[in-house]
Amino acid sequence: MAPKSGRLYAKGVFTGFKRGLRNQHENTALLKVDGCAGQEDARWYIGKRCVYVYKAKNKTSVPNSKEKSQLRCIWGKVTRPHGNAGSVRAKFRRNLPPQAMGCRVRIMLYPSRI
Amino acid sequence: MAKNKNKGKPRNYALDSGVYRFSASKMFHKKAIHKFLKKTVAKKPADKKPVFVEKKIKGDKNGGTRMVRVKKLTNNVPTMDVKTCILHTKRKSVFSKHSRKLRPSLTPGVVAIILAGVHKGKRVVVLKQLETGLLLITGPLKLNGCPLRRINQRYLLATKTSINVSGVKVPETINDKYFARVKSDNKVKKDGNIFENKKEDYKPSEQRKADQASVDKQVLEAIKKHPQGAALKSYFKAGFGLNKG
Repeated sequence: MAPKSGRLYAKGVFTGFKRGLRNQHENTALLKVDGCAGQEDARWYIGKRCVYVYKAKNKTSVPNSKEKSQLRCIWGKVTRPHGNAGSVRAKFRRNLPPQAMGCRVRIMLYPSRI
Repeated sequence: MAKNKNKGKPRNYALDSGVYRFSASKMFHKKAIHKFLKKTVAKKPADKKPVFVEKKIKGDKNGGTRMVRVKKLTNNVPTMDVKTCILHTKRKSVFSKHSRKLRPSLTPGVVAIILAGVHKGKRVVVLKQLETGLLLITGPLKLNGCPLRRINQRYLLATKTSINVSGVKVPETINDKYFARVKSDNKVKKDGNIFENKKEDYKPSEQRKADQASVDKQVLEAIKKHPQGAALKSYFKAGFGLNKG
């Protein structure tokens, strides 16, 4: 496992949707994980849950807490490696919004296989 | 007896067309089979089995008895085939009968990192696997505030550090039932108290505190005995986090 930065999650970036040159498939997102160099490194992340966290204008309720917050998230999971350079494919419960491209996605360390 | 002129010749023979000369009934007479047939015995009348049987009706409703056929009628087909019934019940895999697996890296005594939940980032000691497959862990409470707790293997990151907990005896009473949520005894009346959701804060019972203390005592001793005991203590106190590089 290559060293990475972050807390109990690995930092990743949403680089785009799965695509051919002229067509894109928004149901699968491509994530570039910090510190993940090749396909073998990427294999460690398979099955791990990932979240895209973002802020919104209106406050919505948070589970297990009375206070509402502006933070929202879209959960997903890493499905397989992508390419040879350590990228990873992920599927989210709802497709990621395109404005998330270039933004931070958190890749959690669970479900753990170690 | 007249001299048998036909000696040596077959009684029945085939004609040119392929058909035989004498029919079966003629041959019966020729061969005098009536002499060899055994006499038939008179048929014994079969034991008469009752067609209907009296059976008691169970339950409060009817009382008394009803007549049930011993041999079911051919048009009496059950709504569900008995075989498929059994098949279905056999196929249902009940949770209690699921096989529990344990990751080889998560043996008792291993120090693991909790990845999610209230205690995320804490390094804890794995004690044993419970019946439902969940793992029993303890902080120990004094070191990192994590009590005796159940946790799913998937939320634990095993380290290679382990403590010898063979001497630690976890009481048999600590099983899945021990950790089951306590149902509140509130019998809500329809007066309007329903809307007052009194979420009582969780307070550990005396039983829990006692068990925690007794188990932790043993675990702490085991940590002391470990060659890197002192370092381990601060290891437990510190949390886990990913850092740059």
